[in-house]
Amino acid sequence: MKNLIVLMALLLVSSFAANAGVDVIVHPSNANAIDANTIKKIFTGKAKSFADGSKALPLTQGDSSAVTSEFNEKVLKKSSSQLKAYWSKLVFTGKGTPPKEASSDAEVLSLVANNPNLIGFVKQGSADGSVKVIQSF
Amino acid sequence: MKKVYLSLLTCMIFIPFFSQAEVRINGFASIYGGKTLDNDESIYGYSDDIDWQNGSLFAVQLSSDLSEGLSATAQILARGNNDFNAEFEWAYLTYSISDNAQISTGKMRIPFYRYSDFLDVGYAYRWAKPPQSVYNLNFSTYEGVSYLYTSYLSEWDSSLQLIYGAVDTEFSAITDSDKGQLKDTFGVNWSLSNDWFTARLAYLVTETTIDLSGSAELSALIGGLQAYGLTGQSNNIEVMEDDSYFAAVGIGINYENILLDAEYTEFEIDNSIFAKQQQYYISLGYQFDSVTLSLTYENNDDENSRDQFNQVPRAITGPNGIEIPVVVPNSEPAIYLQDLTNSALASQRASSDTYSFAFKYDFHTSATFKAQLTKLEDDITGVNTGLLIFGVDLVF
Repeated sequence: MKNLIVLMALLLVSSFAANAGVDVIVHPSNANAIDANTIKKIFTGKAKSFADGSKALPLTQGDSSAVTSEFNEKVLKKSSSQLKAYWSKLVFTGKGTPPKEASSDAEVLSLVANNPNLIGFVKQGSADGSVKVIQSF
Repeated sequence: MKKVYLSLLTCMIFIPFFSQAEVRINGFASIYGGKTLDNDESIYGYSDDIDWQNGSLFAVQLSSDLSEGLSATAQILARGNNDFNAEFEWAYLTYSISDNAQISTGKMRIPFYRYSDFLDVGYAYRWAKPPQSVYNLNFSTYEGVSYLYTSYLSEWDSSLQLIYGAVDTEFSAITDSDKGQLKDTFGVNWSLSNDWFTARLAYLVTETTIDLSGSAELSALIGGLQAYGLTGQSNNIEVMEDDSYFAAVGIGINYENILLDAEYTEFEIDNSIFAKQQQYYISLGYQFDSVTLSLTYENNDDENSRDQFNQVPRAITGPNGIEIPVVVPNSEPAIYLQDLTNSALASQRASSDTYSFAFKYDFHTSATFKAQLTKLEDDITGVNTGLLIFGVDLVF
């Protein structure tokens, strides 16, 4: 019985975690106006620069992480299978390369804090002063 | 030519030591089984004995950014219907002129169809086998250059590709391996899309040469026409640097859970034995979360035009004003070359309707299972052929 309660508690926590919200972050010096549509374009390889002309490099997280699924669904409006099929079409025709992957929120934070060209996402609330949150979903 | 790819590959492998460029490795694979539903029927290379090779393939792609906008890509593909011999399917260099424009050179895919670019990547589409009435050309790559320009107008993405190059391969024209070349191939491929709608137009022109010596009947007919000095008529059978075109129009809709794809293509090799070919398909699909169901109808219609018939005279006038019948020498009763030519032209007639039902199940983020039931009705012979294929596509 105890096990069941623990399991249910875990399920509850994980379902909360799945809807924790996503913060999209950039380097603090990045002053560009970046709306949801621009984020979508950068993460689907359709835009390669920010409004000021500097290079925009998207940074994603692993397929299996909850924050990635949430970002893909809320911002890119694609399931992970659809996104994989989308990138397959570009990768195997030399027309595009999927975003680089970081392994955790902490890695995204440290990479973005040190590179003005990067744009990444982390679980809502995990961003610190080293980065700038531009949008929350 | 193989040597060139091999040295390109070698370059890519060694480049990291010099420039710290990273080599990305991606791959895809398909494992398919299939069989026709009735005894002694065959279609798309399948017979009534279950076959695991025909639709199976395995590929590895290596790509490397060499800095300053230059990148190299090679795709090595092993097809089951080629005994899994690994061959360079693609090998090219790409230079990014700007964020919107890139130029590539090497061995690349010819943009015949909407799904041409990723025809081998089964994971990227919903059929187990793309509609074969339209996707019917047995060669898919060319050697040359390609210029790609992409632009974004509010919600619309436009992609314009221009190609120039040549093809040297074995066509499946009369036999399954007729040596041939396409030269001075020019093409335009334009697509416009938004979140849920895609429209595409493509037009290619080329000069086609196909060696017909694989067919004893056609070789004899060409030889016979030439013996009577009927070179114009024999040129109308032969495929020697004949002007050819290929035109395609297509649309795709992916609205909420509804999928709709349709493509129409036509092509013709002027002044040749080959008929003008016209074909289209329309496919409706519905996506239930990880399962996609599709219904597809295809139509094919090939026919030589009326004015190509009866071009061979039944008799010619000899040097002394004597009428000489144009017949097969010593044939009794006389077999007229006119009749033989007409029947060779008529033999290119084809007409068929095809119906398919496809099931796709994304059971893994990198893999999908598909099964497809296809029925082809040949309107000329009246023969109906059923085919079941099923398998797994993956990307890695």
